[in-house]
Amino acid sequence: MKRDWKALLLRHETILLLVLIAEWVFFYYAGTSTNRRGVVVGFGTLDRQFDILRHSCEIGLLALALTPVIITAGIDLSVASLLGLCAILFGKFWHDAGLPIPVAIALTLVLGGLAGALNGTLITKLRLPPLIVTLGTYSLFRGLAEAITRGAVTYTDFPAGFLFLGQERWLGLPTQAWIFFAAAIAIWLLVHRTTFGRSFRAIGYSPEGARYAGLPVERRVALVYVLAGVIAAVAAIIYTARLGQAKADAGLGYELFAITAVVLGGTSIFGGAGSVHGTLLGVAAIAVLKNGLATLPVVMRMNAAEEMAGLLTGALLLVALTSSVIPKLLARWHTRPHVTVSPTLKPKSTA
Amino acid sequence: MKSFLRLWLVAGLLLGSMAGAQAASSKLIVAFLPKSKGNAYFISCKAGAEKAAKELGVELLFDGPTDSNAAKQNEIVENWITLGVDVIAVAAENREGISTALRKAQKQGIKVITYDADAMPDARSFFVNQATPEGIGYTLMDEAARLLNNEGEFAMITASLTAANQREWQKHIEARLKEKYPKMKLVAVRPCDDLKDKAQSEATAMMSANPNLKLIMSICSPGVPGAAEAVKQAGKTGKVKVIGLGLPSENRRYVHEGVTDTVVLWKTEDLGYLTIYAGVALAKDELKKGAKSFKAGSLGTFEIQGDNILLGKPFSFNKANIDQFNF
Amino acid sequence: MSRYFRELSVAGALIVVLLGLAVFAPAFYQPQPLLSLLTREAPTLIVACGMALVIISRQIDISVGSQFSVIGVCAGLLAAKGWPLGFVLLAAVGIGALLGAVNGVLVAGLGLPSIVVTLATLVTLRQGLNLVRQGEFVNLPDGLQWFGLSQSGGQWTLLIAALVILGLLGWGLRHVAAGRFVYAVGSDTEAARLAGIRPQLCTFLVFVFLGALTGLAAMMNLVQSPQVQPLSGSGLELKVIAAVVVGGVAISGGRGSLWGVFAGLLLLACIAPALIHLRIEAYWEKAIQGAIILLAVVADGVRSRRGGAKS
Repeated sequence: MKRDWKALLLRHETILLLVLIAEWVFFYYAGTSTNRRGVVVGFGTLDRQFDILRHSCEIGLLALALTPVIITAGIDLSVASLLGLCAILFGKFWHDAGLPIPVAIALTLVLGGLAGALNGTLITKLRLPPLIVTLGTYSLFRGLAEAITRGAVTYTDFPAGFLFLGQERWLGLPTQAWIFFAAAIAIWLLVHRTTFGRSFRAIGYSPEGARYAGLPVERRVALVYVLAGVIAAVAAIIYTARLGQAKADAGLGYELFAITAVVLGGTSIFGGAGSVHGTLLGVAAIAVLKNGLATLPVVMRMNAAEEMAGLLTGALLLVALTSSVIPKLLARWHTRPHVTVSPTLKPKSTA
Repeated sequence: MKSFLRLWLVAGLLLGSMAGAQAASSKLIVAFLPKSKGNAYFISCKAGAEKAAKELGVELLFDGPTDSNAAKQNEIVENWITLGVDVIAVAAENREGISTALRKAQKQGIKVITYDADAMPDARSFFVNQATPEGIGYTLMDEAARLLNNEGEFAMITASLTAANQREWQKHIEARLKEKYPKMKLVAVRPCDDLKDKAQSEATAMMSANPNLKLIMSICSPGVPGAAEAVKQAGKTGKVKVIGLGLPSENRRYVHEGVTDTVVLWKTEDLGYLTIYAGVALAKDELKKGAKSFKAGSLGTFEIQGDNILLGKPFSFNKANIDQFNF
Repeated sequence: MSRYFRELSVAGALIVVLLGLAVFAPAFYQPQPLLSLLTREAPTLIVACGMALVIISRQIDISVGSQFSVIGVCAGLLAAKGWPLGFVLLAAVGIGALLGAVNGVLVAGLGLPSIVVTLATLVTLRQGLNLVRQGEFVNLPDGLQWFGLSQSGGQWTLLIAALVILGLLGWGLRHVAAGRFVYAVGSDTEAARLAGIRPQLCTFLVFVFLGALTGLAAMMNLVQSPQVQPLSGSGLELKVIAAVVVGGVAISGGRGSLWGVFAGLLLLACIAPALIHLRIEAYWEKAIQGAIILLAVVADGVRSRRGGAKS
């Protein structure tokens, strides 16, 4: 019983949870104050917490999309570029083709899936390394978004009913939060509670072994990329609703944060291990860090919210990586072979 | 574990009390949002803004995205709303997108003013207009025409194909070209992604692809020294003229060497200065809707057209006057 | 023949593009603009050589762009303070080696995945630089440009230096033991270890080397203009990795040569000026770049499936 508690405490996710709580408490005290008008402002307000929630939905969705991919020992650098492409396509379907919003959304999701299928096919059918394939599609998708809009066209003037998805609240929480929660629960169930999802870990750990065990490795891996594509499309819809515009540079740079969140959450980039709840904690930790830093008076005086957030996220990532490796290093140290050299030959004694 | 957490709490409380004490001051807080924090143009706006803030005895918060990014601008404005600042001054990257956040601010009693690039009119009280995009486009086009005697080929370097203000200026330049200068031709438009080196490569290729090119216009400020260096390296100083929107400090060398003829800009320090003065006057209820003019500290009086406070025409820096400015 | 098939096919693609330009846009072939273009790409070539080594040893480094920016600004500031060019060069290479060592320690020493480590250093360096510099240019003292030589003197010096370095590295990779160790470690770490190579040391040194080369490249860039823009290395990692991949170096390690990288770099560097000469709109650039990368990679995949050879 005692050993179970210790194991639970030392698990990566638990430590991350504690870090998350610690930073939240820190920002609560350091970033909340009463302004000139006597209103309580800063980190500790409900408004602010909702803002954090609202802003982390898109990156959170991308991180959710990446988790199964990384568990299967793959990677997808193109998710944020796909977000941009899907945003543009959505805008085009609605504005140029005149389709009603729900149809435009459905079509965008399908195209997102197809784009993901492109990645998946190249990776599984041609046995190409995911890093390079998705590096190519990272450029290609963004490039297509720019080419379709000639860089210039921006789609705006969406109907209020659509903007509700990104800018208003439903049942007390920001609307997109409900979508994000639904996706999070769905992905969690998929990865942790279905045999289908559990096979991801096997595939990531040893694709050959999984193949011998009878798993349709190629099909599953391809599906994981299709799923990532569909989720990227969902994120694109939410992004467009939040900003009220669809532009070719939507989601630029988001892949870095998404990958950071996944790795922070304990998923190994080498594949074979990882958890969706870890990813969610990672997303929360980064979102709280980014937003909390902006509320600290000292950071505001330095005009450095974005840089500090970037610096600390990078540092946090390094610390998380290093700390995850320490138990392994300690184990190696403890079991290092002891070599003693003696000048005379001693009779062999059993250890 | 428990004592560790306790340590965090104590540290947090200490810092929190310090933070609380600072915010309880009675100074007005003015928040100033550029399109991109790293762009030297906005850095010099900031210099003017700081000067005004010091003269008025208000606290200035300056923050913005490192690269033009509408989403990040929204995030920063929402930061400020929950912080409870008194005035928000914004250079909008995306007109509609930022307006939602600005309306929210207005609802909470925060005064909103825009500068450099406007938001939707109902989301702000006044727009400090350094010059309309039309004025800027026309000044650039007219200057190009003057240098080429109203005929010849020229090319344009912009920052990125998606940047809203660049698109605006380009539109007006092309309109002016069509309307007034039928003997001039725009042969190429290329983005440089805000990189001086890329602008240089693009300019080099443009000159070799268009042997009759007579002028390169860069509406992206790092592009002006980039294009100038390209012209210099191609040995075409004087044969291919360089003009653009940029800062004196980045172009001084090339202007003196005769590579760059004119650098057009607003007196950006004045823009920042005027914006802060207007914002504070708004907060103190000294500047009201329907006013026809506004006096801003040491800069004098400015005309107001509707809800636009006009800074005046763009300023042209050239060999004769560039050394008088150090931004 | 088939050993160099990949490199030859890239060279072939390059020749096709060059021939196409000769037919459709002969204005491309003017000496001065070409010289300027090649000189502009020389620093990228140097970094690409270093990156090729890293990728051959089955690692990756996406922080080179941020390293380039940081070193450029530091070197610029030192030069502006009056340091002589030689010392600035040493400082640049030194800072680069140091930054590379940080990556190396984390990857080789702690066994952390290189993509994530260099992602962290990319963000940290870039944001740290933004924090300190806020995007402001560094103005260099007069007489620094082109090493104080004339423009064409300086350009030819840089070009020849780059080609010499390419030649030395290319030869060294094949014929010097240390070079072959890199291939060994990239092919099969355990076998390399059993053969007496120390994979961790090799990996560490490869990152340090890349950092040092990045420092050299930053210097080569510095002397080409009178100002340093802190944003200048942005996007370098993508350009370099694309050149390496298109040039035939396998991301799974153990294969590739610098000549292919050279051809790949030239091919990709042609895209932008080719678009201008062929009067194709600028917004196609990214899509074309992505398509070339994918084509190169797909060609690799198809070939290895058919031939059964390990890619």
